[in-house]
Amino acid sequence: RGLGVAAGPPSTRQLREAEEAAPVFQYAGKAARRKDRVFVWGFSYSGALGVPSFVRPDAGWKKPRRIQPTPYRLETEEKISSAACGYGFTLLASNTRDVTKVWGMGLNKDSQLGFQRSRRDQTKGYEYVLEPSPIPLPLEKPQQTRVLQVSCGRAHSLVLTDSEGVFTMGNNSYGQCGRKVVEDEIYSGSHLIHQLKEFDSRVVQVVCGQDHSLFRTKKGTIYACGWGADGQTGLGHYNITSVPTKLHGDIAGVNIIQVSSYGDCCLAVSDEGDVFGWGNSEYLQLASVTETTQVNVPRHLPFKIGKIKEAACGGTGNVVLTEEGNVFVWGYGILGKGPNLIETAVPEMIPPSLFGWSDFSPDIRVAHVRCGLSQFAAFTNRGELFVWGKNLRGCLGTGRMEDQYFPWRVTVPGEVVDVACGVDHMVSMVRSF
Amino acid sequence: LNAAPGRAPRQRVRFLPAPAPASGGGGAVELVAARVPVLADHPLVRGPRFRKLKIGAGHRLDVKASGVFVLGIGHGNKLLTELYNCHLTKVYTVRGLFGKATDDFSDTGNLVEKTTFDHITREKLERILAVIQGTNQKALLMYSNIDMKTQEAYELAVKGLIRPMGKSPPIITAVRCLQFALPEFQLEVHCLHETQQYLRKMVHEIGLELKSSAVCTQVRRIRDGVFSVDDALPRTQWNLQSIQEAIWNCQFKVETELEKTL
Repeated sequence: RGLGVAAGPPSTRQLREAEEAAPVFQYAGKAARRKDRVFVWGFSYSGALGVPSFVRPDAGWKKPRRIQPTPYRLETEEKISSAACGYGFTLLASNTRDVTKVWGMGLNKDSQLGFQRSRRDQTKGYEYVLEPSPIPLPLEKPQQTRVLQVSCGRAHSLVLTDSEGVFTMGNNSYGQCGRKVVEDEIYSGSHLIHQLKEFDSRVVQVVCGQDHSLFRTKKGTIYACGWGADGQTGLGHYNITSVPTKLHGDIAGVNIIQVSSYGDCCLAVSDEGDVFGWGNSEYLQLASVTETTQVNVPRHLPFKIGKIKEAACGGTGNVVLTEEGNVFVWGYGILGKGPNLIETAVPEMIPPSLFGWSDFSPDIRVAHVRCGLSQFAAFTNRGELFVWGKNLRGCLGTGRMEDQYFPWRVTVPGEVVDVACGVDHMVSMVRSF
Repeated sequence: LNAAPGRAPRQRVRFLPAPAPASGGGGAVELVAARVPVLADHPLVRGPRFRKLKIGAGHRLDVKASGVFVLGIGHGNKLLTELYNCHLTKVYTVRGLFGKATDDFSDTGNLVEKTTFDHITREKLERILAVIQGTNQKALLMYSNIDMKTQEAYELAVKGLIRPMGKSPPIITAVRCLQFALPEFQLEVHCLHETQQYLRKMVHEIGLELKSSAVCTQVRRIRDGVFSVDDALPRTQWNLQSIQEAIWNCQFKVETELEKTL
């Protein structure tokens, strides 16, 4: 710029040249991959959220956070493929071949998280685990076996592997761990992890009810063990069973593709879209077939709502998802159709417009449904999570403390891939954008 | 307007003295009733009928934006306030450009940053749009000040009629991607209580979410409540005839909408 030229505002040509000369920043390359993250929310004092600073603040100015009302990101070492929430504790499992495959946090008074050696006293174990801590599994080939799925009940947990059967740990006072009940056994600080291998074929799904366990095999049969006073073992009697035994009744010979339970009622879905139920029916869960309050043999539930794809059982209410993507609820409690619907024995459909379906976006469909003890969660194929039910200690994750009577979105920064619901907390696996 | 034939002058019945019969003077004057135009209504006495027109404007439109702009004349101003209280959604088409970030979020501002954008795909954009819609749906329910625990709230939510009926920050009810050709893209946005600058800011934020940057090149309003582009008059048609026709056509729609909402 010569000295004889006046300053003046930059001309258009100068602006354009400056623009073209500006450096270009690159924030994400073509190979940018979406990361998998874990979000937790709910009641934190039990340690089930896995964030120690909520319970024991690490800085002086921080206050202990009793409830985390909105999703909070949990840093994990590996990509978590399966998670399960129990009554005050959580299990996270990864699909890796490394030695550490399962992490647990929360209550450990019955060794449901295995033996966590205390650093202060080498002989005793921790009763509350505040951080995701690895669970040592007695695997024969620790660097080849993969953990497929985990499940948690009230005080026991199940770990499913691909080649070494099912590992159970925790409380066994009702035989729910699949081994013989030992009188006056002390479960706290116990090293015992039992391995179950005797099934007719490979186990592909494990489900924990409150004090019983269900195993689904590849052939489509179901085995059960544990407490049976409500008939939830489905074996035809109301006693406890300490060895996994095959179920008969209406599901004999039927290929079951999914089984679900959380409280004392159980539901199973067959490959033809029929649903079978057994267990507690005090809340009209099985009232469509029987008047009795306990059903100890699996019964077919003749609902004419279409082919059923997935079912989930809660403490007092049940939810199913049909092939068309409609969600049906029945039972007792906050079912999701406003405050007027408290109990029903016949499934009622929740209108899809509540899940974001509209003329504007007609291809939104509910992909999966999950149940906690008194909450329901459903997530769509677009990755939006909807929750409804009783908001016990902030477990719904909406940011409010009130109960939610119809499906409400939970804002999670990412696409929700899976959700696990517990009594007072929830864990979700999310993929970032 | 003044050139149009005015209203017919008022007629009044007046008793006029009839022209007296030619025979001899005096005698009773007969009164004959006759309809006579009142002199006070004569245009030369009264002057032009319309001297001033009260024109009011509907929702604001920026200098840089274009599209449907609603005006009300005379009695229409009151209808305008009623329409404003209906809180109907407006529809915009927003065009954006990836790769640049400016200080006022549009392509005429000062350049702040340039970024790469070849990693952006239509799916990523649609995912971001779904998230925006989700958070705005929550805001919709929250700002509508309805108690969530009632059965009416549930029924309104099912029908999708929950709307904030008072003051609220800008809420987007629906977004859709119409065109996607790197680096350009076009969105259709349905929103409430927004300003055009807010839409430009939203385009900028979409760029940030996609780990790049974006500027807004065009904002065009295609629908404002009941008035759409088809009813609107382009510049060439700003004459009395078309205005009158347009008002006539829209009257019915406005009335039905007002009845539905209030």
